[in-house]
Amino acid sequence: MDETVAEFIKRTILKIPMTEMMTILKAWDFLPENQLQTVNFRQRKESLVQDLVLLCENKRASLRDAALLDIIYTQFHQHQKVWDVFQMSKEPGEDVDLFDMEQFKSSFEKILRRALKNVTVSFRDAEENAVWIRIAWGTQYRKPNQYKPVFVVYYSQTPYVFTSFCHLKSNTPLLSQALTVASNHHKIVKMDLRSRYLDSLKAIVFKQYNQKFETHNSTMPLQENLELDMHMDSRIIHENRIEKERVQRVTQETFGDYPQPRLEFAQYKLETKFKSDFHGGILAERKEPLRCLIKFSSPHLLEALKSLAPAGIADAPLSPLLTCIPNKGMNYFKIRDK
Amino acid sequence: MDPYDTPESTPRHGASSRLKDYFIGATPLRKRLESVRKQASFVPTPPRRKIPQCSQLQEDNDPQKFAFLLHKQWTLYSLTPLYKFSYTNLKEYSRLLSAFIAAEKQKGLAVEVGEDFNIKVTFSTLLGMKGTQRDPEAFLVQILSKSQLPSENRGQKVLWTGWFCCVFGDSLLETVPEDFTCVPLFLANGAETNTAIVGTWFQKTFDCHFSSLAINAFNLSWMAAMWTACKMDQYMATTEFLWSVPCSPQSLDISYAIHPEDAKALWDSVHKTPGEVTQEEVDLFMDCLYSHFHRHFKIHLSATRLVRVSTSVASAHTDGKIKILCHKYLIGVLAYLTELAIFQID
Repeated sequence: MDETVAEFIKRTILKIPMTEMMTILKAWDFLPENQLQTVNFRQRKESLVQDLVLLCENKRASLRDAALLDIIYTQFHQHQKVWDVFQMSKEPGEDVDLFDMEQFKSSFEKILRRALKNVTVSFRDAEENAVWIRIAWGTQYRKPNQYKPVFVVYYSQTPYVFTSFCHLKSNTPLLSQALTVASNHHKIVKMDLRSRYLDSLKAIVFKQYNQKFETHNSTMPLQENLELDMHMDSRIIHENRIEKERVQRVTQETFGDYPQPRLEFAQYKLETKFKSDFHGGILAERKEPLRCLIKFSSPHLLEALKSLAPAGIADAPLSPLLTCIPNKGMNYFKIRDK
Repeated sequence: MDPYDTPESTPRHGASSRLKDYFIGATPLRKRLESVRKQASFVPTPPRRKIPQCSQLQEDNDPQKFAFLLHKQWTLYSLTPLYKFSYTNLKEYSRLLSAFIAAEKQKGLAVEVGEDFNIKVTFSTLLGMKGTQRDPEAFLVQILSKSQLPSENRGQKVLWTGWFCCVFGDSLLETVPEDFTCVPLFLANGAETNTAIVGTWFQKTFDCHFSSLAINAFNLSWMAAMWTACKMDQYMATTEFLWSVPCSPQSLDISYAIHPEDAKALWDSVHKTPGEVTQEEVDLFMDCLYSHFHRHFKIHLSATRLVRVSTSVASAHTDGKIKILCHKYLIGVLAYLTELAIFQID
């Protein structure tokens, strides 16, 4: 086994947390069950990894096997990457071909190899007619860097592609070309949507986020809540009860009953004039807009935004600039005065 | 595009509607002032009319002299007056502090693996870093490592820097007897462990006391307004604010960056009193920013916590961290910080 492959396998296995080791190795399916049983999984991690790498050597693991392990590791740790979303489109009036996965894969790989001698391409099928692609980029003169691969997830029954953030922007046009040509599309466009949570991105672009629960009569649980509080002590009267109920209702209508898709940020580039009813005169003569860049960050942005109006920090309904995020499938915006 | 009607606005009690009143009520400015005064009463600061910070700061000083203090993040502390500190004994202090640090490190209190125990401490004065003649001289303490490796700068790498100063400290200087030296503002850059050791030595030697100097939202707003008011030939950084929103269960941070020319234009439009910055102007400036934000997002920034402000002059964080970017207004920034430090000591 090549030294570089051995090192690569070793480093990949080292990344795997002990609690997931067995699961990932089984999913990899390179080392058979009976061999795995001969290994002592209770020893220190470094020694365990050494044993495993030895087994891989004996079985003559190739770069291809190593790349597959890397894909599986990434599938288990999707949130360690930041994912962008691309949308492909066909020419209007183009025939809808029957998609052939094997043809796509071979065509995709061919296009990359024709352009770049040094590139490693690996595939792993996933459910929902999806395929995970791993690409390690090299150059004309340098072998592919296995430690900085790009991952692409293509849902073949949709025009959507998710790619992990790549520092090497120079390869993006080639990647785009390979995707569109191999999948018989005409154009590919990067959406203004980015997050660590692949599932949330899927939920947003496939519009699946609002289908999880059946919506019951939405006012019912709310009234129960408030009535319960009032029963605690009849001397306590809720201030603004009507207003609070209205805010709850409006928030629920805007955000729905279901858990929100998970995003970490939303960014707005504003170029709008300053206008205020109460600060008449301020910047009144200025024709130029205020150039602002506003960024909202949170471990779970949409849930945080949902809690603002009920907490009294925001008006209800919240601005459509914020509530449109899942609907429009965007978390980067450029806003100008009309 | 907005499918919902705007909410009815009728006068009500309670937190959320009090906020609404500021945008709907008859005299928003006065109410804003009152609210700031109320906020201020939690951490009492005197309401004031600020002395001009912009025009006063034409520095004749050689810009290179204090260049090494710029573009570094400093942690702020207030310091009570030093008893029997003498500027003629700086060499002696270097020696004593050096020995103290070596002793502490050997005690295993702050051992880092592979650390070179060959360190040197220097005390030096920073001439010119003061507001009036009455202010005592500022001085600098540095911990340098005497590297034994044959590397590029043979000898000395700066491990830790701390400086003590007093800029326009009249209010404190007047109250303090002869034997005391007042340098109420202390700024440190480097490992926390070193700051703690140096602090301990000073406390033992000069019978003084350090406290962390936090900067509340009220003062951050003042800083933002004053620094935006400063005339700049060239803007090096965007003007940026960071708010932390107290919502649960998820935290939310809002960063609001505005082009420095636009921030200046807004300030110029707000500014009425030549050469001075007043409370009303600060309030109005912030209010306009809040209002612009609210127009787009319907969120009341005034209900959240201002955590950081950043301009081409300097940036400050509520935890008591500062970075000064512009030598021209160095003294002005230090003057404000000295005032905060003195207030904390009193």
